[in-house]
Amino acid sequence: MDWKTLVLCTMAIPIGGAILSLLDVKAWRRLVVILTSIGISASAILLYLNGSFNLSSSQDLFFTKYNGLISVLDFLLLGYILYLGFKFKHVLIQILTGLQILLLALVEVLHVPTQTSPFFADKLSLMMVLIVSILGSLIAIYGLHYMDVHEEHLHLEKSKQSKFFFFLLLFLGAMNGLVLSNNLLWMYFFWEITTLCSFILIGHDQTEIAIKNSQQALWMNLLGGVAFVLGMLVLTLKHLPLELTSLLTLPISPLLLLALAFLCIAGFTKSAQLPFQSWLTGAMVAPTPVSALLHSSTMVNAGVYLILRLAPLYHKTLFAHYLAFIGAFTLIATSVLALSEKNGKKILAYSTIGNLGMIIACAGIGSPAAIGAGILLILFHAVSKGLLFMLMGYVEQLIGSRMIEDMRGLYDRYPLTSVLMAFGMITMFLPPFGALLSKWMIIESSAHNPIIIILLALGSAFTMVFWGKWIGIILGRTEPNPSKQEHNPMLIKASIYSTAFLALILSVAIIPIYTSIVLPTLKLYYHQTSYTLLFGSFKNEIGMFPVYPLFLVFGLGIIWTLAKLRTSSTKPSSLPYMAGLEAIQEDKFGFVGPIGKFVPFTAGNLYLQDYIGETKITFGINTIAIGTIIVALASVF
Amino acid sequence: MKFLEKFIKQGSLKSPWLLHFDCGSCNGCDIEILACLTPLYDVERFGIINTGNPKHADLLMVTGGINYRNMHALKNLYEQMLDPKIVMAIGACANSGGVFKDAYNILGGADKVIPVDVYVPGCPPKPEAIIDGVVEALGLLEQKTKSMELSHAR
Amino acid sequence: MFSLGKIIIALIVIVLAPLLGGLIAGLDRKLTARLQGRYGPPIFQPFYDVLKLLGKKNHPMNKTQVFCVWIYFIAAVTSLFLFALQSDLLMIFFVMTIGAIFLVIGAKSTPSPFSQVGAQRELVQMLTYEPLLILVFVSIYFVTGSFNIADILKYPKPIFLTLPLIYLVLGFALTIKLRKSPFDISTSHHGHQEIVKGLLTEYSGPYLAMIEIAHWYEIMLILAICGLFWHTNLAALLIFLLITYLAEIFIDNLVARSTWRWMLAYVWGVGISLVFFNILFLYAYRFVS
Repeated sequence: MDWKTLVLCTMAIPIGGAILSLLDVKAWRRLVVILTSIGISASAILLYLNGSFNLSSSQDLFFTKYNGLISVLDFLLLGYILYLGFKFKHVLIQILTGLQILLLALVEVLHVPTQTSPFFADKLSLMMVLIVSILGSLIAIYGLHYMDVHEEHLHLEKSKQSKFFFFLLLFLGAMNGLVLSNNLLWMYFFWEITTLCSFILIGHDQTEIAIKNSQQALWMNLLGGVAFVLGMLVLTLKHLPLELTSLLTLPISPLLLLALAFLCIAGFTKSAQLPFQSWLTGAMVAPTPVSALLHSSTMVNAGVYLILRLAPLYHKTLFAHYLAFIGAFTLIATSVLALSEKNGKKILAYSTIGNLGMIIACAGIGSPAAIGAGILLILFHAVSKGLLFMLMGYVEQLIGSRMIEDMRGLYDRYPLTSVLMAFGMITMFLPPFGALLSKWMIIESSAHNPIIIILLALGSAFTMVFWGKWIGIILGRTEPNPSKQEHNPMLIKASIYSTAFLALILSVAIIPIYTSIVLPTLKLYYHQTSYTLLFGSFKNEIGMFPVYPLFLVFGLGIIWTLAKLRTSSTKPSSLPYMAGLEAIQEDKFGFVGPIGKFVPFTAGNLYLQDYIGETKITFGINTIAIGTIIVALASVF
Repeated sequence: MKFLEKFIKQGSLKSPWLLHFDCGSCNGCDIEILACLTPLYDVERFGIINTGNPKHADLLMVTGGINYRNMHALKNLYEQMLDPKIVMAIGACANSGGVFKDAYNILGGADKVIPVDVYVPGCPPKPEAIIDGVVEALGLLEQKTKSMELSHAR
Repeated sequence: MFSLGKIIIALIVIVLAPLLGGLIAGLDRKLTARLQGRYGPPIFQPFYDVLKLLGKKNHPMNKTQVFCVWIYFIAAVTSLFLFALQSDLLMIFFVMTIGAIFLVIGAKSTPSPFSQVGAQRELVQMLTYEPLLILVFVSIYFVTGSFNIADILKYPKPIFLTLPLIYLVLGFALTIKLRKSPFDISTSHHGHQEIVKGLLTEYSGPYLAMIEIAHWYEIMLILAICGLFWHTNLAALLIFLLITYLAEIFIDNLVARSTWRWMLAYVWGVGISLVFFNILFLYAYRFVS
């Protein structure tokens, strides 16, 4: 199969599946989603195996004749969003959409169409397609079970799942189109589709707060859209091409840099960087498959993907330094905020924003090692965060709360789920897993820049604290006679177990991933590579990281320990030390207080909300962020 | 493993960790016990550390008379200590109830609740006497360790 | 990097390290006792303690605890092994944190108030020393141009001469890791019993022995990192480490335990300032010379 067919498949299959899932019959919907998942994953894998696109043959002009169609669809889309703006009487949406329509019209009129293919993929894009397709499919399958339980909890009479899955699958198709796009106009079209899908999916439950947050997400993303169109306008006015492949060959100039700066700001809004993070934290009111898919693994990756794509162009400019600062500052600010949060989904949201900030810092630092780290971090973060969100949603449905304090003693009732959740968190911040390897690479490649390195070091310390705290809560044992209630349904097993397995395998296989995805990309744009691979380790002139040896040591250690634990006695009956007054009553640990009254065991955690609470510091960090962006924009000249 | 056993037995004699529980004493005996830890008598020479945690302790020093309230605590603490362990009753009240023997709330000495191995008489006993009792306890500990099965960390 | 000779040397190191670590702990207690005007335990006391603990009956609270102790132990040994193989400092640091995190998780898994408070304080301790350690390693990179220990050892002059303030920052991390006053807030070490034994309250018997041995490995690792600051001459290195450790013992006996708020504010404030000034000095020095 040639790449044109496969590219069409990656977009047509989900869109087809979306339309088919509009029929509101549960079994049909399950069939459609599962078949779409298989189809889109297969196309993605085949596309990846096909390799990077070679744009030399004339057949590559196949898609250019659809330029006009895309423009028409673009205006229709913007028209629909404008209509939504009037429907909700939301002035900001109206203004931003109107601005986009005007500027887009200018771009379309002034733009000279070229004969370059609007679709292109190197290994980075192919990796993104794989992430979107495979992880997206797994989350869609998870969504089948989640939404059934969700609607049951809400006692809905009429199911809204057909609308839900329509937009979810439509989104997958749009994401695939986005990462495969070469022509910025096409990318812009897919970009705005994802904005629309995000808006509709966030507001799915139609509660007051869902509506409010979806509108906030809409206008913030539209602001990014305006920046995107402004970037395209600058390029068009300067008679520069709108195709990435052509742009990446050009020498840098102030106006080109200005266009890139606008595109980067669009990326900031899409990836919910400071000061635009409130739409992402607000989007947590959406059903969890939305959070898992859009707001951790795929849509927010679109922003950093664009920024990373453009990185070779603004390499070593002053703008890049500011970009690195913005990314590193986002990391530390969101890590501090995550420490003060009690809402599990918000912690995950802040962690997502922080990791995306790290990827942007990579793009800003711009050395081959840093770019490689950024690419790897996109991959590993997407898988681990998707896993964590899926588990978070499932646990929330099991225990009825998303506060982490209510998850104490989860291990007693749901051992496998809590272990998987702990595993997901461990893959986020501990060696030898991929996310930590990327962090190691970033720290080593940014070591020459004192401010960035201080921010990164502090940020990563904060992340350890809140992950460690959360893992400790989940694996806590609070019941003397635990009653295991775990019955994981088949759809959950299929989606969550596969994702966990994927997280493990990808981390173990990081060296083949590096050679097949990162190295070709680096060679293409930087003509140099960063690490040599020796004895299963990453090695360069300043550091080394032994991947296989560490996996071997810890893997064997864990297997041996688990084997020993299995054979040892099953009933340890030791009570905790409570000055001799320990007791078990009403199936709880506790102690016998004065006058013989039983006091059950409770525990709390440090949140420091008075010092670093969201309400206290958000204003300050937003101000710093806005200031930095303004300075970064000014620095292009 | 035999090789390690010998070292473990030697270790257990040279490192008795203490748990000091005051059941309701007038604190006279407690002050004398704590005096043993001061530089003048310095029982840390023998590896004795006053841990406050029964899970870490080998020696339980009980002072004061047992009443209906603290007997539960004493029993719990004794059960939380890991084998091999030694109980010492320090002072007259812990031995038998002391001057409070016939009071309505006092059950008697510590041996009403838990098996006591060493009794140190006195009101309060001198630190030298307490140290003497500890040395006696170490001898008993050796015997208990010999008769106990060796458990591995595995 | 992984030649057979180096691996054998590293294996010898990790066999000898706990013996040396225990000896240092014993000398520590002896010297502390002498400073307090008493005789103190024999030098081999920590070994007797560990052996006694190994001989106790096994009675853990739950299996999570046991698992976490093993991971802590493996991580401590692995990080020292990697140091002996002269690999990347930053990577060794991250492997060390695996152990530290799992110790906290093990403590948090028990329904004991002392464990929970100890675990929280341990997390704050980690929050305190981790960024500083990363900054120390980055400063070493500034001076020697590499994170690899093999390359650092090839540097001709002692690093301490250009990074004296950074060594003080490392001293903070050393104090916290050794659980010495004023930063022994998570286990209330040395029998102070503020929160009984804090983090370690619910560990007993053989598992407490394993934690102690892993702690010795960590002491050796941190002392080895301190030793990197004067690697040129073996005799000078030993005297240097001796002075460092003596300073730790003196400070331990002089100051009272701090609160976690004070620790975080003070160590970060002073630590980051010291790093900043030392790096500034480095830049100025290079600019001038």
